[in-house]
Amino acid sequence: MVTVMELYQLLPRTNCKKCGESTCMAFAVALLGRKKNVAECTPLLEANFKPQKEKLESLLLPTAGAEETGLIVHPELCTGCGNCVVACPVDVANDPHGAGMGCAPTNEKVIFKVVDGKVMASNIKECRRFGKSKVLCYACIDPCPTGAIEFV
Amino acid sequence: MATCTGCALLCDDIEAIVENNRIKETRNACRRGAARMKGCVNRLVPSIDQKPTDIESSIRKTVEIIKNARSPMLFGLDNSTCEAQAKGIRLAKKLNAVIDDTSSFCQGLLIERILQKKLRTCSLDDIRNKADVLVYWGSDAQDSQPRHLSRFSYFPRGESRQRGYEEDRKAIAIDVRESNTAKICKGHFYRIPLKGDREFILALIEALSGKVPAYDTKKMLELAGILKKAEFGAVFVGIGLTYSIKEDFDILTALAEKLPNFNIMPMVGHYNMRGFNEALFKETGFVNRVKLEPKAVHDNKYSIMESLIRKNTDAIIVVGSDPMISLPRPVLTYLASIPVICIDPCISMTSKIAAVTIPCAATCMESGGTAIRMDGKVISLSKIITSEYMPDEEIMDRLMEAI
Amino acid sequence: MDIGKFLKSPEYEIKITTYRDIFQAEAMERDRFGEEYKMLSAAISISKIDMQKMGLKPKDRVKISNSYGSIIVEAKETKKDEPGGLAFMVNSPWSNSLVSGDTQGKGIPEYKNINAKISLSKEEITTLEKLIAPFIKKPIPF
Repeated sequence: MVTVMELYQLLPRTNCKKCGESTCMAFAVALLGRKKNVAECTPLLEANFKPQKEKLESLLLPTAGAEETGLIVHPELCTGCGNCVVACPVDVANDPHGAGMGCAPTNEKVIFKVVDGKVMASNIKECRRFGKSKVLCYACIDPCPTGAIEFV
Repeated sequence: MATCTGCALLCDDIEAIVENNRIKETRNACRRGAARMKGCVNRLVPSIDQKPTDIESSIRKTVEIIKNARSPMLFGLDNSTCEAQAKGIRLAKKLNAVIDDTSSFCQGLLIERILQKKLRTCSLDDIRNKADVLVYWGSDAQDSQPRHLSRFSYFPRGESRQRGYEEDRKAIAIDVRESNTAKICKGHFYRIPLKGDREFILALIEALSGKVPAYDTKKMLELAGILKKAEFGAVFVGIGLTYSIKEDFDILTALAEKLPNFNIMPMVGHYNMRGFNEALFKETGFVNRVKLEPKAVHDNKYSIMESLIRKNTDAIIVVGSDPMISLPRPVLTYLASIPVICIDPCISMTSKIAAVTIPCAATCMESGGTAIRMDGKVISLSKIITSEYMPDEEIMDRLMEAI
Repeated sequence: MDIGKFLKSPEYEIKITTYRDIFQAEAMERDRFGEEYKMLSAAISISKIDMQKMGLKPKDRVKISNSYGSIIVEAKETKKDEPGGLAFMVNSPWSNSLVSGDTQGKGIPEYKNINAKISLSKEEITTLEKLIAPFIKKPIPF
């Protein structure tokens, strides 16, 4: 996974504030958190920064499909076993007699659902990693036998 | 709700979205189950000597072959409903045939012990509600029964296990390789050498008896400590363990005696293998390898393997099984040399060498009935789509009538 | 000049056990004569240590043979670190080509304990059609 420092090294490092952030480091953090996108750093759009801009975009590409919390499901790795469906504390709280008990989800408030043999995430704002009071929850990653879930 | 026939967990909470009489989408089924429910790409067509024909001709030819056979065999039925199995057993009886199924080279010995009540067992629902220590032994449930851990054993909150798996349950894997299940059991994976199960069991029995085992002393005492503390434990016996201890099931019984709070659960692959075993056991007292003369005679020589090695069978009806895929190559030459009647929804390796093929409906998509889950619970299978294909139950009826 | 190509690839003794894989099982449900089933079955997973010992690289084709049969499959590195000494094949007609028919009268073949020889090969991966060909009755010529 790409780090803040890797992103920072590719920025102009002038702290010009054109992007709205106070420093280039702050912008790098925002990039990683998907709160800003590369195009918001206007100096990068100049010709002499082209290689850096392309590098940045390629580094951030794997996170492009991610949800706002950074959650990515790799469907090609998923076995559809449903461990994450049952282990997710949000699913347990929102569907205690369905997903929480190992059964099929009984309502639409769950985050994980298995469709066509592969898990799909929805209701992402329910995720513990969402929003201001987010916590670094690993409850869906630890039970995955194949590493099909990732936070970027 | 539909029931998945991908493995012997028989998940009956599947949502199948049907469009134009096809399953368009599945919900809750695992990767394998989803593929099974959507069906195979190559459906079997009726044929005689590999030339397409109609189903009536296929049935007539089958009758001709089995009537002329000296020593016919009926093999398979593990992917058939209980109703079809019962009829298959009756058919074998009428033919004085040998009957056997894949449990013969899979979990048969273990299931026999369980049905004889020589090993303590329980239901998967008990495990969900009560189990605190789970031992996956020679079993990669994650790949073979993919929803085992999420539906029943490790992850769900059960009646007496409300706090989640990290606090309430301990999962242990004993295996020759770090399987996907072993990965989930991190910290409690015991790697054993190939064929090392017997030695491991003996050392574990010593440790459970308060002795100091010579074999990997520290880990063995640690494992014995966890097992002793269990309130309600389960040992999930996979074919890794069954193949390794072979007919020496007394050693497993000896271990079970040292673990009074534990139950033994056979990890079954084919969705209704246990159903076949239970039906034959009820009828004959044996789970497989029986000649119905029509009085039941049980012998290892009636196993599919030995029947082929000894060239004792001169015609074979294979129902919902693909022995050409699952048996060792050295016995295939003989299998392919005798008339094989293949009853299956899909083209298989066996159908390619069959003298007669009879396509049947895919259970729980195109036909319904009941099946027995790995723990012995009867699960109903409902039909979700219509098809032109005959359920195998009906094919058994037709053969019976004609004989 | 590459002298190596005139030498027979070194042959090693190997012990193989079989296992199940959900992706292969999925492919089997769909189409057992398909490319996916072949790719996921006609393969052997070998620990990194053993791969180095035998001078094999991932994606190399290897010939595995014993007195029961001979197959060409793809060599893969085990996904998890294995201590070596044991290689793995998903249960399939390919692995069954190497299994003895002798059950010592007990009826259960030794699926999990296969001894064979392995060597680098340039041949194509064995297809299911090739495995089944000897068993298909040929039409009687006129």
